[in-house]
Amino acid sequence: MSYTSKCFPNEPAGPSVVTETIPGPKGKDAIKSLGEVFDNRCTYFVADYEKSQGNYIIDVDGNVLLDAYCQVASIALGYNNPNLIKAASSDKMIRAIVDRPALGNFPGADFEQLQKDLLKHAPKGQTLVWNGLSGADANELAFKAVFFNYQSKKRGFDKPFTTEEEETCMSNQAPGNPEIAILSFKRAFHGRLFASGSVTRSKPVHKMDMPSFQWPTADFPSYKYPLESNEEFNAEEDKRCLAIVEERFQNWKCPIAGVIVEPVQSEGGDNHASATFFQGLRDITLKYGAKLIIDEVQAGCGGTGIMWDHERYNITPPPDLVTFSKKMQSAGYWFHDPEFIPNIPYRQFNTWCGDPKGIIMAAAICDEIKDNNLLEPLRETGLYFYSQLEKLQSQYPQFITNLRGKGKACFLAFDMPSGSKRAEFIEKMKLAGINVGGCAEVGVRLRPGLIFEKKHVDIFISAMEKVLPTL
Amino acid sequence: MSISETYFPTEPSAPEIKTAIPGPVSKAKLEELSTVYDTKAAYFVTDYYNSIGNYICDADGNKLLDSYCQISSIALGYNNPELLKTAHSDEMAVALCNRPALACFPSTDYYDILKKGLLSVAPKGLDKVCTAHTGSDANEMAFKAALMFQANKKRGNKPFTEEELTSVMENQLPGTSDMVILSFEKAFHGRLFGSLSTTRSKAIHKLDIPAFDWPKAPFPALKYPLDQFEAENKAEEERCLKALEETIKNYPSKVAAVIVEPVQSEGGDNHASPAFFQGIREITKRLDVIMIIDEVQTGGGGSGKMWLHEHYDVVPDIMTFSKKMQNAGFFFSEAGLAGDQPFRQFNTWCGDPSKALIAKTIIEQIKEKDLLTNAKETGDYLYSKLEAISTKYSGKMLNLRGKGRGFFIAFDLPTTALRNQLLAECKVLGLNIGGCGDMGVRLRPALVFGKKHVDILASIVDEAFGKI
Repeated sequence: MSYTSKCFPNEPAGPSVVTETIPGPKGKDAIKSLGEVFDNRCTYFVADYEKSQGNYIIDVDGNVLLDAYCQVASIALGYNNPNLIKAASSDKMIRAIVDRPALGNFPGADFEQLQKDLLKHAPKGQTLVWNGLSGADANELAFKAVFFNYQSKKRGFDKPFTTEEEETCMSNQAPGNPEIAILSFKRAFHGRLFASGSVTRSKPVHKMDMPSFQWPTADFPSYKYPLESNEEFNAEEDKRCLAIVEERFQNWKCPIAGVIVEPVQSEGGDNHASATFFQGLRDITLKYGAKLIIDEVQAGCGGTGIMWDHERYNITPPPDLVTFSKKMQSAGYWFHDPEFIPNIPYRQFNTWCGDPKGIIMAAAICDEIKDNNLLEPLRETGLYFYSQLEKLQSQYPQFITNLRGKGKACFLAFDMPSGSKRAEFIEKMKLAGINVGGCAEVGVRLRPGLIFEKKHVDIFISAMEKVLPTL
Repeated sequence: MSISETYFPTEPSAPEIKTAIPGPVSKAKLEELSTVYDTKAAYFVTDYYNSIGNYICDADGNKLLDSYCQISSIALGYNNPELLKTAHSDEMAVALCNRPALACFPSTDYYDILKKGLLSVAPKGLDKVCTAHTGSDANEMAFKAALMFQANKKRGNKPFTEEELTSVMENQLPGTSDMVILSFEKAFHGRLFGSLSTTRSKAIHKLDIPAFDWPKAPFPALKYPLDQFEAENKAEEERCLKALEETIKNYPSKVAAVIVEPVQSEGGDNHASPAFFQGIREITKRLDVIMIIDEVQTGGGGSGKMWLHEHYDVVPDIMTFSKKMQNAGFFFSEAGLAGDQPFRQFNTWCGDPSKALIAKTIIEQIKEKDLLTNAKETGDYLYSKLEAISTKYSGKMLNLRGKGRGFFIAFDLPTTALRNQLLAECKVLGLNIGGCGDMGVRLRPALVFGKKHVDILASIVDEAFGKI
């Protein structure tokens, strides 16, 4: 019996749409009342999480949808996973919720164990973790770690600050607040706070009207698909993008302390790159004394069929920091060089310094993935999914192009001819019982949980077969 | 029966100190922990399972009366039975296992949780809430709300121009913004890049991190006792308000918002009068600037009112919260502050229902047990006790402040070294107590602190002053 059948004996056998629109009448009312107190303009529907099961999300009208979007790629093991319910009711979880500590000042006696439980799942080459609260938070904490490290290397790791540094920083001026940069890639998404917003380059609506740091960007490869028949072009594309990165290091108006990159640019359109590209990037960062941050917020925690997507590229030496959030249900960055821990206390610090609640959930999720060997069947499901989509792509070339993500489990995407066709597709898929998400202007991304199986693929594909001819 | 007796029948009657702090077990555990965690800021290792009510228990079995409460973030004491109930509830398990992307797929009960929880204590004039994850996050989202609001106003509610749409992708004007957020000297608003640019508390909070070139204004340095320095203090506040007005008027780019704490907490528990805050409100209104009040540390009832600024009779445009609420976010009034379009003020989680449930329970308990009255009355009693001590040690205990502000009380010592010595002596005597600013000592007990706890605290502080 598969993990999914074992854990979710009551998972619906298929979707069921009982209202003419989604949201239906009850959903519309619920959205309206919610609007009195909470911004409801992004709301697709109101979900009944108590009833949702496994791969199915159930809305307040009783519509049962197969979920291939999973809370913007953040539900790893399905809704109401019984083993996570256990973790949620464990003594340590109750303690974490009732007496939330300021972890930096008053760590609990069990905190060492919580850290070790989490660290078991660190990416290859990483041995330590610093905890945050969201993906944007994790990335900005990673930037701070890079900047502390960069400046302290320059100053001498254990050297004191100069009086000038101490005075100028109180007015936000150099040298206390130096002008140093993080390089990111076009179409990247790393969050929406001020520094993370500065390195995000996905869409204008993510950035508009926010003051931003004058930090450099480079092109991220735009491959031609299928990869097999475009090898030469794509190899040139890697070279072209790496040359831009190198040019930025040579000519940018201030030092570049770090580079941040997603293993797959997700919000920005599910853009993939090769092992050669990532290794090239690593080599450039080493050459110029900069740090490499891999942002695994969306790709990490098993979604691509391995625990951390960048591990497939065998980047050598391993990246300096790897950030995570979403499916982990906790956030933070992995690292291995102890010099990323500042030499004096209260530099990388805040009230909570993470949340044991998140850390416990993260470890429980990772344990579950590992103990049940969930990624192996997921990889197979992904190959099957890809092959089925490939058929649809050849059948409907006017609607489906650039199918991508082969070999990365269900972390698949394709493009549609226009934003409006994409919107129509997503809407009609909902009415056909499938919750699916878009990315960038014309992309459709598949982000099911790690418990998605062939039978769910078949349901997904048959809905597409119904919807595509009507576009 | 006192509030703490009702909640915590087994709360210790007094601190119990068996070892040095940190003791041998704490030390050994910190040593081990340091292999997987930066422990340089750790005071001791806590046994949260055995902490109860107002007492924090450490790994050596020492029981300290806690007047610091996880940097002012524990509202109802340790192991509060009502929070335990919520933690054990089915609702909580569902919230933890199915954490939604709230803006896209909100849960059926989120409306109710907000309505019965956070929104039932919304400050006057602010009837909407946007939820977030931490105090820094809340403040930065408030900045975004203000910046987008001001930009939209400037644009005349028109769509983005082609030039804005392209330039913003290069972090260039006009798509990005040269508008600024003004904060006060000695302020603390968090440690991410936008919030840190408004934080002006200590160099260690800011060094080596790139910052926005945003303006600051002086915050009043009042003289104590207040009743002896009325004229000086009034002049000081007027000076600061004048500087604020001039900075807003003369700054080369538009000041989108002013952010201010009702009491600057990390920066040294610096108070100002209602007139000062009303002055900020008047200036910001007149000059078309959004006023953000940061209640991250002051909010949640410790001052005897739910939000400390309610002592000042002032209505800001935005008020941020976190810490004691265990949930973060901001309240706001104007619909335009939610962003003129969807997906502008947006992120994956947009908050956390498990935290909103905890906040709801905390709020229900504050109401049910009338904890605001407790904070006010017990706070007044605490102030009077400390006043007596300050007379006894008049050269060492300085600038006692926070009268009439519930538990939100602080005092100074003549030097940082003496302050640190006092904090250490208090710990040895069984009181966990925190510093702020360079020479300040701040009291941040939970809302369940009673008169008997005040008596213990006062006697320890008295004894500690005798030793330094």
